[in-house]
Amino acid sequence: MPGIALPGVVGGMGSLQMFLDGKKSVVVLFWSETCSHCLRCDSYFNEFTENHPELRLAAIAARQGETIAQIRSAISERKLRFPILHDRDGKVAIKWYTQQTPRVFLPDPARRLLYRGAIDNFRFAADPEYQPYLEPAIQAFLAGKPIERPEVASFCCAIQSVYYLLPKALS
Amino acid sequence: MGNQVNSILKPWTRIAEGMLTVVDTALFAAQSAVGALAGEEPVKPSTEPPWEGPANIDEATADFANRLALLAALTPLKSGALVKAGGNILAAALQSRGSIERKTLRQWMALPIQLPLSFGTLLTQSSFRALHGVYVVGLEKLPDLFFYAAELFRDAEIFVTLQYNEYLALLQNRIAETPNDAGTRIELAQTYMKLGCYPEAAREMTEAAKDRDFRAAALQGSLIANFLAANFSQAVSDGIASLTLEPSNNRTRFWLWQTAQKLDGYPPEVPPHLRMEMKVGYDPSQVQFEDVASQIGLDKTSGGRGTAVFDMDGDGYLDVILSSAMAGCSVYHNNGDGTFRDVTVGSGLEDCVNTFCITVGDYNNDGWDDFYVTRLGFYAGESALYRNNGDGTFTDVTKQAGVQNWGPGFTAEWVDYDCDGNLDLFVSNNAGKFFDRRTPNRLFHNNGDGTFTEVTREAGMRTPAPTIGCAWGDYNNDGYPDLFLSNGLARPQLFRNNGDGTFTDVSREAGVDEPGIGFVATWCDYDDDGWLDLVQFIWSWEDDMLHNLIHGAPPANGHSLRIYHNNGDGTFTLRSKELGVDGCWGTMSGNFGDFNNDGYLDLLLGNGGPRMDRIEPSVILENDGNGKFHNVTFAAGLPFTGKGHGANMADLAGDGRLCLIMASGGFYPADLLTASVFRPKSLPGNYLNVRLVGTRSNRNAIGARLKLNAAGRSQHRLVSGGSGFGCLPYEQHFGLGKTDRVDSLEIVWPGCLKQQIQDLPINNTVRIVEGVAGWEEVYKKRSSAAPLGCELLK
Repeated sequence: MPGIALPGVVGGMGSLQMFLDGKKSVVVLFWSETCSHCLRCDSYFNEFTENHPELRLAAIAARQGETIAQIRSAISERKLRFPILHDRDGKVAIKWYTQQTPRVFLPDPARRLLYRGAIDNFRFAADPEYQPYLEPAIQAFLAGKPIERPEVASFCCAIQSVYYLLPKALS
Repeated sequence: MGNQVNSILKPWTRIAEGMLTVVDTALFAAQSAVGALAGEEPVKPSTEPPWEGPANIDEATADFANRLALLAALTPLKSGALVKAGGNILAAALQSRGSIERKTLRQWMALPIQLPLSFGTLLTQSSFRALHGVYVVGLEKLPDLFFYAAELFRDAEIFVTLQYNEYLALLQNRIAETPNDAGTRIELAQTYMKLGCYPEAAREMTEAAKDRDFRAAALQGSLIANFLAANFSQAVSDGIASLTLEPSNNRTRFWLWQTAQKLDGYPPEVPPHLRMEMKVGYDPSQVQFEDVASQIGLDKTSGGRGTAVFDMDGDGYLDVILSSAMAGCSVYHNNGDGTFRDVTVGSGLEDCVNTFCITVGDYNNDGWDDFYVTRLGFYAGESALYRNNGDGTFTDVTKQAGVQNWGPGFTAEWVDYDCDGNLDLFVSNNAGKFFDRRTPNRLFHNNGDGTFTEVTREAGMRTPAPTIGCAWGDYNNDGYPDLFLSNGLARPQLFRNNGDGTFTDVSREAGVDEPGIGFVATWCDYDDDGWLDLVQFIWSWEDDMLHNLIHGAPPANGHSLRIYHNNGDGTFTLRSKELGVDGCWGTMSGNFGDFNNDGYLDLLLGNGGPRMDRIEPSVILENDGNGKFHNVTFAAGLPFTGKGHGANMADLAGDGRLCLIMASGGFYPADLLTASVFRPKSLPGNYLNVRLVGTRSNRNAIGARLKLNAAGRSQHRLVSGGSGFGCLPYEQHFGLGKTDRVDSLEIVWPGCLKQQIQDLPINNTVRIVEGVAGWEEVYKKRSSAAPLGCELLK
C-alpha cells in the first residue's frame, strides 16, 4: 500500500508507519467533515481505539476545497477524538484509488491490503438487513483468519467533483 | 368537477401547444436577429461545464429565475426578511450575469431588447411544460406537481454541490426566530432525513407534531424516520397516531404496513381499520426467485442507477457494471463460477462518479466492448466515453472522440442508424433545473476512425421537451432503425429513419404521441408477429400507485405502462388495458426478457421515486402467450419494497436462468439501497442463448433481428441494449419450455444480410459470426455436479 506523509489537522505530521508502530494494524479512513455518512459514524470512529486497542485509526481529509479551518471547526463542534491528516490536493486519495468518503482500508503489519471499502451497508443495527463489512474484517484479521469479503464498494460523497467548482446556488 | 374541467381542457392542449410554439419561435427569431445586429455569434448549446456561470443571455435569464425561485422558497413572509430579499435579488442578478460580456456599444444597446425577449422564451417554454402538466396530472394535482418539481430541482442543486449544511443552518436560524413554525420544522426534519440523520429527524418531527395543524404530517414523518432508523416499535406508534388522525392517508398506511413487514406482521395494537393487505402481485408464477446478490458479490449499496452486462474482457463470461448517483461506477468481473469480483480499482473508472446510464457498444469494432455514461439526469453532468483497452482497463476518450455532452443526460444508446457498420451514438437530455433551457438531444455519427460528428440538426431531430428515454428499432421493417423518444411530462416522439441520414417525426400519424410522465422505453416483439412493438415505461403519481396496491386495481384516471402494438402499417394501437398491464407504478426503469423460459417475453419494472418517502416494489409481469400479462411479483418471491433503477436481465452464470438485476437507491445521500439479483431457484425450462458477432455490420450486431423456429412457432428478437437504463447483454435468450429441438434460426443482420442456421443445440450458449456457416459453443458442457458457472471453451 502506498505510503502516507501528511500534516495533521491539529499539527505535526502523520505517516502510515507511525500509525502502525506498536499496533497490530491501522484502519485508514478517507473522511470529510461535510460527508453525512462520516457524520453518521462519528461515535463509531470516536470509540474505535477503545473498542479495538490493538489497532489505530487514521483519518485522511481529502475532499476538494475542504480547509483546515473547516475541519478544525468540525472537530470542535462534534467533539471528534480521532487523528485527522489533511490531504489538501487529494494526491494521497488518488494514489489509494479513493473517490468516496467514507472509505476504509485495513492493511496487515507488512502493509498488504486486507480489506478495502465501506463500513457497512447503511442500515441500522436493529434492522434485519444490517450488514457490517469492516468489523467482520477486523475480527477475522485479529483472529488470524482469512477475510471473507476483502472488498466492498464505497458510497457517499465524491472526493473530487466538478460540482464543487461550479458557482453555488446558496452563495 | 376536476375531471370535467380536464376533459374540456384536453382537446385544447394541441392548439395551445401550437400557439406557444409559434410565440416561442418568433421570440427566439427576434432575439437572434437583435443579437446578429449587435454582432454576436449565434448561441450554441455548451458542451463544457459553466465554470464562470451562465455563458449566454438565455442561460442567464434561466439561472436568475431559478435563483429567484430559491429565494422565494427560503424567504419567510416578514417585512425584515423581504427587505433583505431585495438585496439578495440584486446579488442573484449579478451572479446570474455569469461570464456574459458586453464588449461593444451595440451589444450594450441590444441588451434591453434581448433580455425581455429571453424572459419571453423562458416563459413560453415553462408554459409548455405546465400545459402538459395539466394534461397529464389534471388541474387539481397541478399545484402538487409544481411543489414536487420545485423541491426536487432545489434539492438537486443543494445536495450535489454539498450545500446542505448551509441549508440546514438557514432552517435552524428560521426556527430559532420562530420556534412554533411547524412547517419549517418539518422541512428541517426532512432535510435531516435526506442526510441519514434519522434520530434528529424524528426529534424535529415530534416537536412539529405539537402543532395541531401539522400533527398528522409530522407523525407520518416521524414514522418514516423511525422506520429508517430501525426503531420499528416507535414507528408503529407514530403510524397509528397519524393514521387515526388521517385514516385516508394511504402513504401513512403503506409505511405502517412496511413497518409491520419488518416485525413479521402487524403488532396487536394496530387496529384492523388501520391495516392494509397487498392486493396485487399474487398471480400464480411459473418461476420462483431468490435474491443472490450478496452470495455472488453484486450487493452494492449506493444510489444505484444504470446497469450494464457485457463481456468486458473477452473471456466469454458476462461481467457487470453498476453505476450510481451517490457513489462511483463499480466493475464486477465474472469469475466463471457464478460469483463476481469487484475490479474497479485499477480499471481507470475510479473517478467515474455520479453516473446515470451506461450503454455498451464496440464503437471502434476492435473486439472490445466500450461504453458511454451519462451523468445526473435531473441536474447536469459531463457524459463520457470509455474505451476498453482490452486489458481490464478503460480510458476516457470523450474529447478525442468528439462526443462531449454537458447537461442533464439521462439515457444514451448505440445504434448504426445508417447501416455503415459503425456504431453511432444518441444521447437524451432531460431537464436539469426548474426553469431550464432545453439541452438538445444529440446524435453523433461515427466517422469510422474513432471520432464522431454531431449531426442532430442535419438529421432533422427537433425535440421541444426534455427527453428521458430513447429506443432504436426498425418498426416498419425497412432495414433502417427508427427512434422513439420518451419525453418527460410531454408528448413522446417517433422519428422514422428516411434511410438518407434524415428523420421525419411521425408521432401523430403513428398514434404514439399521448403525453405522459415518460421514463425509459424499449422496442420488443411481445407477440412474435414479426413487427416490433413499443413499450413506454410511465412514472405514476404516488397516490395512484398506492391505490393500485391497496385496492388491487389502478384508479380510473391513472397512467400505466404503455404497450403500443405495431399494426404493421406504420400505426400503433395502445393495448395496455387488454394486455393487463394497466397497473400504476412509478416506473423509472424497465426491460424485457423471457425469465420463465416459456418462449414469451416478460417484463420487469423498476419502480419508485426521487423523494425519500417514496418506496415501491419492483414488479414482474409474466406473458402467458395468450395476450395477457400477469403480475406475479410477490408470488415469485420478489420483495415488497425498493427503489429500482437500471432494471436488467441476464443469464449471468450461463446456465439458462435469466437473472433479474436491479440497481437500487435514490438521489439523496441517505437514500441508498442494495442492488439485487433475483435468480430463478431452478431452471424453469429449456433455453438457447445466442451471441452474434458482426463482421460487415457492427461487431455487437446491434439492430440485428433474429427469428427462432421451434415447436411450430417463431420467436422474434431485436439485438439492442433494451431500455438503456439497464443495458441488456447483446446475448439473446430464447426460452424453449419443454421443447427439445430448435428447427432453425433466421438472422437479418444490420445492412440486411440474411443468414439461416440449423441444427442448433438446446440448453447451450452459442456464438454465430456474420457470414460464417454454423455456430460454436461459448461454454463447455457442464457436469451436473456444477450447477453454477461454466468453463470457457478454449
